[in-house]
Amino acid sequence: MSTMGMSRSGLWEVSSRVIVYAAIGAALYAISAQFSFLIPGTASVSVRPGFAFVTFFGFAFGPIAGLFTGLVGNALADQISGWGLLTSWNWSLAAGVVGLLAGLAPSFLKSWMGTPSRMLAAAAVGSAVAVIVGYLIVISDIVLGTAENLNVVFADNYGPVVVSNVITVVILTPILLAAWQPIKEQMGR
Amino acid sequence: MNVAPRYLGRGSWLARRDPRVLILAIALYVFAVVQVWDGRLMAVLAVIAFLYYRTAGIPIRAVRFQWAYVLIFVGFIVTTNTIITGGELRGIDPRSVHTYFHLPLFGTPVSAESMSYAITQLLRFLSMAALGFPIAFAIGPSDIGPAFARLHVPDRFAYAIDLTFRFIPSLASEMRTTIDAQRIRGYDYERAGRGPLGRIRRTVPVLVPVTINAIVGAEDTIDAMDLRCFGTGHRTWLRELAMDRTDRALLAGFALLFLVVTVLAFNGASNLWVFPFLIPG
Repeated sequence: MSTMGMSRSGLWEVSSRVIVYAAIGAALYAISAQFSFLIPGTASVSVRPGFAFVTFFGFAFGPIAGLFTGLVGNALADQISGWGLLTSWNWSLAAGVVGLLAGLAPSFLKSWMGTPSRMLAAAAVGSAVAVIVGYLIVISDIVLGTAENLNVVFADNYGPVVVSNVITVVILTPILLAAWQPIKEQMGR
Repeated sequence: MNVAPRYLGRGSWLARRDPRVLILAIALYVFAVVQVWDGRLMAVLAVIAFLYYRTAGIPIRAVRFQWAYVLIFVGFIVTTNTIITGGELRGIDPRSVHTYFHLPLFGTPVSAESMSYAITQLLRFLSMAALGFPIAFAIGPSDIGPAFARLHVPDRFAYAIDLTFRFIPSLASEMRTTIDAQRIRGYDYERAGRGPLGRIRRTVPVLVPVTINAIVGAEDTIDAMDLRCFGTGHRTWLRELAMDRTDRALLAGFALLFLVVTVLAFNGASNLWVFPFLIPG
């Protein structure tokens, strides 16, 4: 099963396969929090390589799997760190929307993804766009009192997270997809 | 890093509550406190949050790293908020602030108002974390799925949440095994140098095999679910949840708290209150 071969209506089907892949994606995202690190010379830009699971599961298994991986994976990562499952619910929602948008990317880029290398390029571009658009949800920090104004949101929240996550997904999503493609064909999915 | 869910509050007063109460309590509390900028009311709400936290019976030694993380994270948010806003606080006339000094380089005025803002925000985040800890440590991992299902989350999503909790220990163990196996081959994630891009690339020998193994191994779970006709009808849960009188009273208390705070917010509690002891002279 892969979104690359799905019709647009099939994207929204919640089968047992989607549920299991979504749960695996969320669990992997939560446990890979141990690989996070700060970019040297900055105080707040933390790179989370595990974020690539959100876009990979979205791109490979559809928007529902991507939404769940981002939403629940982020909430669980927060819970494991002690921050609380729902304390930063809008950030979890933003990660979920990134997964959802990454899941929609293949159906919009289908005609362009003729060769394997183009498909990997589409995964990188689609994932980057999903991160840039999806994380706009954190503007809600102003309403929730986490950020005082738009300057804080863009300088302290949105900007650093988008930069670090775009770097992560552009590198890791195509690598994960390249590893998954031959296995998928072998399994007949 | 231990990522498996830990049921540290087992047997405590809060752990005996219906898990739905803990989830709804934090939702009501979060929506209540985000309306408050009056430090006096925020202090009262923080006391309520920490009393609630105490009933979860979570040993402090077992969560000291999590609290340290929260303190550092909250401290960082509060500091950057104060610096980046440049001393501009909502509802406060910049000409009427009681300035102590200006921060070097940034030129941000540090004033009685910005300190009050920082204290109120600090109390808000710490109290939100205090309500978040019981969800992490005082709900039995097997109760999470039924709790969300009974909160009218669609069955399939509730089951996916349940499944995620079940996958975490096994996938974490698989990740540890993969890291060890790669170390034998000379892999070292902690090795310095080659910058952030190098560090991202160094996760590949771990993330790729763990991901592919997990996806391939998921076939057994998918087959088992399909063979049991998963998703063909309404799902029932082995664990039956029922709220008792105490659960309902606690939930009503948080609902009342939300209503009272909302009314107070419309009557001035949403305006920043400056702590008198911070005003010089």
